[in-house]
Amino acid sequence: MNNYLKHTPVKILSKTWESPDTVTFKVDWQVQHDPGQFVNISIPGKGESPISFCSWNPDYCEFNVRVVGNVTEAISELEPGGTMHVRGPYGRGYPMRCFKGNHLLFIGGGCGVAPLKGIIEYVQHHREDFEGADLYFGYRSRDDILFKHLLDAWKSEFFLHVTIDRDAGEFQYSCPTGFVTEAIKHAQIDPNGKIVFLCGPPVMMDKTIPLLLEKGFHEDQLWVSAERHMKCCTGKCGHCMINGKYACKDGPVFRYDEIKGVTE
Amino acid sequence: MSVSPCSAQSLLAHEGKPLNSVMASDRRGERLGKILRKDQLKPLFQALQRKGSLYAPVKTDMVRFQEITTPEDVDAIDFSGHAFFPPKKYLLPNEEELFAIREGELRETVAELDQQFIVNVRMCDLNAVGILDNLYLDPEYPDPYYRAKRDATTFIGLNCVHELDEYCFCGSMDLQREYDLLLHDLGEAYYVDVRSDKGMALVEGLPDAEDDFTPPLPRTSKVLDPKGLWPFYADKWWAGDNELCVGCQRCTTLCPTCFCFDVKDDLDLDDLSSGKRLRVIDSCHSPDFTRVAGGHDFRASRLQRYRHRVMHKLQYYKDEFKRSMCTGCGRCIRYCHSKIDFVKTINEEFVHE
Ligand SMILES: Cc1cc2nc3c(=O)[nH]c(=O)nc-3n(C[C@H](O)[C@H](O)[C@H](O)COP(=O)(O)OP(=O)(O)OC[C@H]3O[C@@H](n4cnc5c(N)ncnc54)[C@H](O)[C@@H]3O)c2cc1C
Ligand code: SF4
Ligand code: SF4
Ligand code: FES
Repeated sequence: MNNYLKHTPVKILSKTWESPDTVTFKVDWQVQHDPGQFVNISIPGKGESPISFCSWNPDYCEFNVRVVGNVTEAISELEPGGTMHVRGPYGRGYPMRCFKGNHLLFIGGGCGVAPLKGIIEYVQHHREDFEGADLYFGYRSRDDILFKHLLDAWKSEFFLHVTIDRDAGEFQYSCPTGFVTEAIKHAQIDPNGKIVFLCGPPVMMDKTIPLLLEKGFHEDQLWVSAERHMKCCTGKCGHCMINGKYACKDGPVFRYDEIKGVTE
Repeated sequence: MSVSPCSAQSLLAHEGKPLNSVMASDRRGERLGKILRKDQLKPLFQALQRKGSLYAPVKTDMVRFQEITTPEDVDAIDFSGHAFFPPKKYLLPNEEELFAIREGELRETVAELDQQFIVNVRMCDLNAVGILDNLYLDPEYPDPYYRAKRDATTFIGLNCVHELDEYCFCGSMDLQREYDLLLHDLGEAYYVDVRSDKGMALVEGLPDAEDDFTPPLPRTSKVLDPKGLWPFYADKWWAGDNELCVGCQRCTTLCPTCFCFDVKDDLDLDDLSSGKRLRVIDSCHSPDFTRVAGGHDFRASRLQRYRHRVMHKLQYYKDEFKRSMCTGCGRCIRYCHSKIDFVKTINEEFVHE
């Protein structure tokens, strides 16, 4: 019997530090997946961490890892040429085919921008399927901004708006200092024909969703990503349960009306 | 019902013959009865010892499942009590090696398992196996560690003719007949209800029961009102029990259907490149169970954790698998540190306003 807990070794092609605590790995792995799905990266002796796909490319995969503890620190110490152990893909990603013809709105906070980058790349590969995209990304400080090398390209192709919680200073992509929620509040957005992808810390989601509903968005236009503690990623360990649902297999991506009002 | 005679010889005639395929097809629904005289029970258990390992409840300070290694020890097997810890441990050990870590690499540790026979398992604990199967043998990601143990295990139940104590409430749960064999006490003999090929292989030599008979499901004086719990989700319904719960996790530790686990890497301190990756039984009552990076904890309060356990047992699992995850074994009430009785709370206090 196939052991679903077993990892596949993949070769690390490159490694880029995006910010002082966040690193992107590009690995030689051609695996079919939907944006929003994730893998489990294993460091023997340290443990495993669920990490989202942050790319969408038939030739390779990218993972963006923020160092917050033991396992993520050990992952960040891997080097190009070496091996990364992954299992997956897991979960239900975004059903991109259902969004054909729509204009997409991405709202991301901090690390939450990483999985959104995967959707953006999917859109870039299927440009004719979508009207366009607006990107609203919020970071704590200038140092925390992810994927700086892509900002020019994103700005030329989409509407890009980066917010910085404090001390923004001079920055060519940014608006005045403040939270991403402020930017959404003041933005003129017509909900018609739009699909919204939200990914970020719980507080960002909790504050942004009411603003969008106020602007006339319907609940079924909003897609949220639910981060939970995960061990098995296959509906067995119980850690990720959101009442009757499993974030690892029914999610991590949910249409807002599927999990709204859940108090756990 | 009449009991036909049968010699111990014919009972043991099938020894040495290989057991039926461990992936035995289920005979659920098909009724097959055999008759086992009481004096044939000991030889049957001893025959099982020769085929593999025999595990049974034994009463010491309390009733516990343990291995019965010698033929004489068969006499110590308990027929009257309710085991403190369920036989779940033979399928999901508290701690289990998933991989060996050698020179910084994971190595699969596939254990060759001997046959194990678990006898005198009560109806509640037999039902727990089917409940665990739904999760661990789900078609998309079947668990090979569980599968191996499950295939190597034969469950021989002992039907409860009387409730074992005032905490049992299995009589009000939707029990199913999921076992290889079930012994039902008829006085001078046991009626053996056969439900799988694995079970049949052990009792083929016994005479067929003559009468059309199905052992009755246990009845209990304690009953859980089968009301759905969704209307009672709000905090106020759970506040009373929550004030008493100390979060000791006895309930989840002793429950035959609690399946949550954590994965831990355990390194050899003399050689940090080797060790093992373990699956360790975990509890949703544990404070860190739902904490994520950034510090957010989705069930930060004890009330949320207590509610989650009961909702999972009685509602969430049912929504998913159309059967309750609670088998009514009563352990989480019998052994609760604070004498919390969720059955009483639900029956008496969860009432529509
Ligand atoms: C579906 C999903 C996708 C994710 N994608 C990314 C990503 O793309 N990039 C990224 O940097 N991080 C991602 N995370 C978060 C990442 O998995 C955790 O930060 C990581 O597991 C922490 O492990 P650690 O050993 O380094 O930290 P620890 O020292 O173990 O803990 C640090 C904190 O992380 C929490 N944590 C520990 N283990 C887990 C776990 N298995 N799942 C969730 N939280 C945990 C702890 O409770 C603690 O609060 C994702 C999580 C999920 C569930
Ligand atoms: S045994 Fe009782 S006190 Fe202990 S965690 Fe369970 S419900 Fe709470
Ligand atoms: S919830 Fe309690 S009564 Fe139900 S199966 Fe678990 S331990 Fe037994
Ligand atoms: S991560 Fe184990 S059940 Fe979802």
